[in-house]
Amino acid sequence: MGVSVYIGAEAIVSPLGQTAASNMDQVLSGHSGITLQERIGWKESDVYAAILQGMSGKEKFEQLLEQSLGAAAEQWDPSLLSSEDTLLIISSTKGGIAGDITNPFQPVVSRLETRFSLRHRPLVISNACISGVVAVNTAARLLKAGLYKHVVVAGSDVVSDFVLYGFQSLYAVSDEPCRPFDRDRKGVSLGEAGGALVLSAERSSFAGEPFLYLGGAGANDANHISGPSRTGEGLVRAVSKAIGKAGIDSREIGFINAHGTGTNFNDEMESIAFGRLGLEHIPLNSLKGYWGHTLGAAGIIETAACLQMMRRGSLAASLGYRSQGTSVPLNVLTGNEAPETDIFLKTASGFGGGNAALIVKKI
Amino acid sequence: MHYCRITNEDAVLDGEKLLSFEGAADTGEKLLALYRYVAPDYPKFYKMDLLSKTSFLGVELLKSSCSGLASAPEDAVALLFANSESSADTDIRFRDSYEIERLPGPSLFVYTLPNIALGEISIRNKWYGEHMFAVFPNFAPAYFVDHSALLLDDGAEWVIGGWVNVRNGPDALIFAMDKGENRSRDGFMSRLEDSLEELYRD
Amino acid sequence: MATATLKEELKGHIIEQLNLEDVRVGDFVDSAPLFGEGGVGLDSIDALELIVLLEKHYHINVTNPEEGKVVFYSIDSMADYIEKHRK
Repeated sequence: MGVSVYIGAEAIVSPLGQTAASNMDQVLSGHSGITLQERIGWKESDVYAAILQGMSGKEKFEQLLEQSLGAAAEQWDPSLLSSEDTLLIISSTKGGIAGDITNPFQPVVSRLETRFSLRHRPLVISNACISGVVAVNTAARLLKAGLYKHVVVAGSDVVSDFVLYGFQSLYAVSDEPCRPFDRDRKGVSLGEAGGALVLSAERSSFAGEPFLYLGGAGANDANHISGPSRTGEGLVRAVSKAIGKAGIDSREIGFINAHGTGTNFNDEMESIAFGRLGLEHIPLNSLKGYWGHTLGAAGIIETAACLQMMRRGSLAASLGYRSQGTSVPLNVLTGNEAPETDIFLKTASGFGGGNAALIVKKI
Repeated sequence: MHYCRITNEDAVLDGEKLLSFEGAADTGEKLLALYRYVAPDYPKFYKMDLLSKTSFLGVELLKSSCSGLASAPEDAVALLFANSESSADTDIRFRDSYEIERLPGPSLFVYTLPNIALGEISIRNKWYGEHMFAVFPNFAPAYFVDHSALLLDDGAEWVIGGWVNVRNGPDALIFAMDKGENRSRDGFMSRLEDSLEELYRD
Repeated sequence: MATATLKEELKGHIIEQLNLEDVRVGDFVDSAPLFGEGGVGLDSIDALELIVLLEKHYHINVTNPEEGKVVFYSIDSMADYIEKHRK
């Protein structure tokens, strides 16, 4: 048997709270970070979004990463951050674009290197909305190959004019808080957040009990750069491969945390893919109704939230969902429920035709 | 291993100069000249941004020298790309579309992510494999060596690696390697690190 | 009916706005569908670019992309819409 990969020390910094636990208190009581933001949109339109108060836009990317890393380290062995055996992977789409459009990552990465006395140059992964799940899967590969003993994965993205105007130019922003998988969904709500997870080959490095990472994979739709595949091809392939690598039977999956952006085409595509995979009956939610779509942070904070939900034995209702709105009916959670098994599947899909999936087990 | 190099001066495939860009006024013209040289009938090319065009053409060139790629299993070609600029060239164009022209351009916005180039390559070739785009300050062979080995150990039959910048003219090194080359891995991989460095500096 | 001049001008704008470098003004059939298989084969992002085109060149605001489906059916339908709404 190869190296076992453990995952834990989850951190979430968002409008709902500064730690994973405080965020989940809010989520499990049905509170959303999405509020009406006056005149922040194109032509001074009012837009629903999950925005952090009390930080300047230009510093948010860095502060979110720094706070997330700090919060994760507290639940791990903080001295290991500056170990020769540790790599930091950063997941982000637009980074600090509000500060320097020509160099959105490097100035912040350099400062983090110094601040946390990192021994290796961090790896920045920028793969649109699947960045976070790709980062976790990459971390696991590095550990399995024995290249590092620990990989810390941190993600952050900010709601900048750039990103907001862009989504508005695609007519993809909902005029109410987003409603993933619902019949009346109208598009995304954007959000900003930071998050972090630790993956390690050493179970004892965690302060609390970590989870076991079973497997993960990515696949491209090979169909369109901005429109989701009508057949869910890439997502089907990513999930099938992840199940194969995890070495489980798909019936062992007790919960799916889907991507669920709230756009018509994305959610429809996911339903088709889960139907093709025979997973449509499994309890499923999207957490975008709580934090909005946080882009490069999404895969990190949502995986962190999955760990929290499994720890607490309570899967959160898919906020914004009321009635079936996809051609393949899904088992979307309308209230908080206890998980049926110890294994969950997390998926992500995004621009560029990317899809990624990972499977984790509670020990 | 097969490789191609696209720079401000020329396009080179496996060490052989294919096309000089002398006389081409800008990056767009250079890439259009290369597109005509490679001659695929693929009108989507015209809509791509410079990062996607350069990456796309690099892979088209590789296919012409690397016959195995055409028959590679559609699930097993991994794309491993990186650069130092992310999508800054198109990011600036999109920002100008709303700041200067006061009309945010939707087709510009969809290219403001570096991994879109990987989507374009996947669409063109019907490849459904793993794909990753990383951003770091300088060309670093170790990234390609480490992650190529990981991907080949994790189900990929082929890895296409690419370092592609465009803001100061095209600057791309794109290479393809198959699992067979990975057989004597330690030896091959340490040579790969040296040879990538050499090819890039050349 | 929209004038032939307007239609020719519109085709030029479409080629420029959508980067259809391999398409010439003469390639358009005025009554043929602009989207889907055949013709010039535009896609969903092109439809959004056509909304930008109407605002840029004719100062017409299309606020609902659903409306675009009818307006952007063909060169004929687009030209008629411009005639009615241009400012």
